[in-house]
Amino acid sequence: MTSSLVRGHGRAVPPLHLVLPAAALVLLVLSGLCLGTPVIAPQRIPAVLSDHASLEYVVLWELRLPRLLLGLLGGAAVAVAGLLLQEALRNPLAVPELLGVSSGAAVAVAACVVWALPVSPALHPLVGLAGAAAGGALTLAAARAARTAGGVLLIGSAVTAAVQSLLFAIMATADRLQYDLLFRYLVGSLNGILWDQVSRTLPWFALAVPLVLLTLPALGLLRLGDEAATSLGVGVGTARTGVLAVAALLVGAVTGPCGPIAWVGFVAPLLARRVRPDGDARTWMLWTAVLGAVITTAADQVARLALAPVETPLGAWTVLVGVLAGAALLRGGAR
Amino acid sequence: MTRVFVPLLVVLTALLHLSAGGAEPGDLLAVADGRPATLDERILWELGLPRLVTAALAGAALGVAGHLLQTSLRNQLAAPELTAVNPGAVLGVLAATTFGLVSPDSALGGLGAALLGGVLGGAVTWLLSAGGGPGRAVIAGLLGSALMGGLVTLLLAYQPGRFGNVLRWLVGSVEGRVWDHLVIAVWWIPLWLCVAWAATAVTTILQGGDQHAASLGLAPRRARLAVLGIAVALIACAASLAGAIAFVGLVVPHAARRLTGGPGGHVPAAALLGAVALVGADASAQVLTRLIAGTELGHRLGLPAGVITALAGAAVLVAIVYREKNP
Repeated sequence: MTSSLVRGHGRAVPPLHLVLPAAALVLLVLSGLCLGTPVIAPQRIPAVLSDHASLEYVVLWELRLPRLLLGLLGGAAVAVAGLLLQEALRNPLAVPELLGVSSGAAVAVAACVVWALPVSPALHPLVGLAGAAAGGALTLAAARAARTAGGVLLIGSAVTAAVQSLLFAIMATADRLQYDLLFRYLVGSLNGILWDQVSRTLPWFALAVPLVLLTLPALGLLRLGDEAATSLGVGVGTARTGVLAVAALLVGAVTGPCGPIAWVGFVAPLLARRVRPDGDARTWMLWTAVLGAVITTAADQVARLALAPVETPLGAWTVLVGVLAGAALLRGGAR
Repeated sequence: MTRVFVPLLVVLTALLHLSAGGAEPGDLLAVADGRPATLDERILWELGLPRLVTAALAGAALGVAGHLLQTSLRNQLAAPELTAVNPGAVLGVLAATTFGLVSPDSALGGLGAALLGGVLGGAVTWLLSAGGGPGRAVIAGLLGSALMGGLVTLLLAYQPGRFGNVLRWLVGSVEGRVWDHLVIAVWWIPLWLCVAWAATAVTTILQGGDQHAASLGLAPRRARLAVLGIAVALIACAASLAGAIAFVGLVVPHAARRLTGGPGGHVPAAALLGAVALVGADASAQVLTRLIAGTELGHRLGLPAGVITALAGAAVLVAIVYREKNP
């Protein structure tokens, strides 16, 4: 970052594209903590946090903080998973939603929750990982038959639709009281996230960070194309499988507590490439994570506040962002 | 050969469907006069037969609509659910019932809402894909469908308590339809099927390319819009009956075109095969539901036909793509 600062501008004022995301993050964190019912003024946050007896403390510490934290981390994780998939398959439309990865994870976790299978909630990320890997593997195995990028997408959406219908069949067996859970597995939602869920998910994120860093060199090589990578002595198949497995782990870890946060894995990498068109995998990864966190928390503020007191699912809003970005991509491709 | 085989298949599947619902051959003869006497006969007349007719009509409509979309857009992958028309129609029905604009059991209101929604979904896809090739149309359709899905979840959040009632529209099911739901569909769908058959000449010319059409004196844009209008009318009615049934509209037209020789037979074949596909899927859904009915899970679960079509359709689609790559 520092080097780009010096090279790009030659003066100590940070460039706009660094200030904007930072400012957006600060604003979103503040609005995530302060807005809602009751509204807590930013300067009162330390005072509220030290007064353990007040209602405001419970709202701030038990409800808003874990939700904000998981929104930031989960958004970043899903976005990075999207980047890994796109880079490994060298297709800007290879996103978790179109590859059966998200819905595979959602089906696996939803089956555990709805049927109350004897799986400890701490292991739900593992179940989600297995589902994500199975959905993705099924799609990729089927997509081997297709010749064009459109064919791959079509098969991906076919597998996704089939998996999704299984999800609906599972939901049809659910109790009326569980419906709130079900939104979560349809499109993703951060409603009702407590420290419980956060503390169960954090170890998985901690595990994923070094793994993601390990994939960076492989990403750089895979971008060269299969022939060039092979000639450099890289096992392309192994490298690609490794990258895809890390992506599945990220999606699985997020799907456990919040469901598949829809389309963030498509939009964030897309924007990251727009912001830094000359970047390499490393810069894009950083930008993708930051933008994923920003988009997810921003959408979550809308989900919390837009139709208050009714809570809307986070994923419904991220879908809107995703479709707008997709439309822009199509327009850009036409020019 | 095909002329005998396909209608025979229709009759066989219909009988299979009725017997999967628990009807005896004797009941069938007894209700033939339209006056059911015993309880079994009443169940057959008021639940079994409407369910069969719903599945047959919706399947035929989706099969022919898929054929119209694929030929007029010259895109093998165009289908009701991949052009956002079907998800849009489902959104229309759900929006109208959620906001209390139409009663959930009103046949006319449901059809009107589905028509509006279907036109909306198709228009979104049309705008997104304007000026692009077939590959772009597929992506635009996926994006449009995602948008409709997002709007549906927002609607669900508005009244979460109704989730159970809404699920049948989301996954597609022909269960629980009675004659009252069918009063419009029984003439609406056959009417538009006939229109589609009569328009065979137009679709055949459109399939040859815009320049080909123009040189034959057919205004391509206007003709395409008219054909798409027929498709939307069929899809909307199917969606107002059975919700988001996936893959019948994508896979059936391919099979119909492969089975019949000249273009004149495509529409009837697509209609019959579409009916067979959905009736067969619903029959197996009923059998599977009965198989798991004994277990602890079973008494809460009625397996919807949409699950069967989605699973079977995905498998068939992969097989088609595979066959085209390795002939």
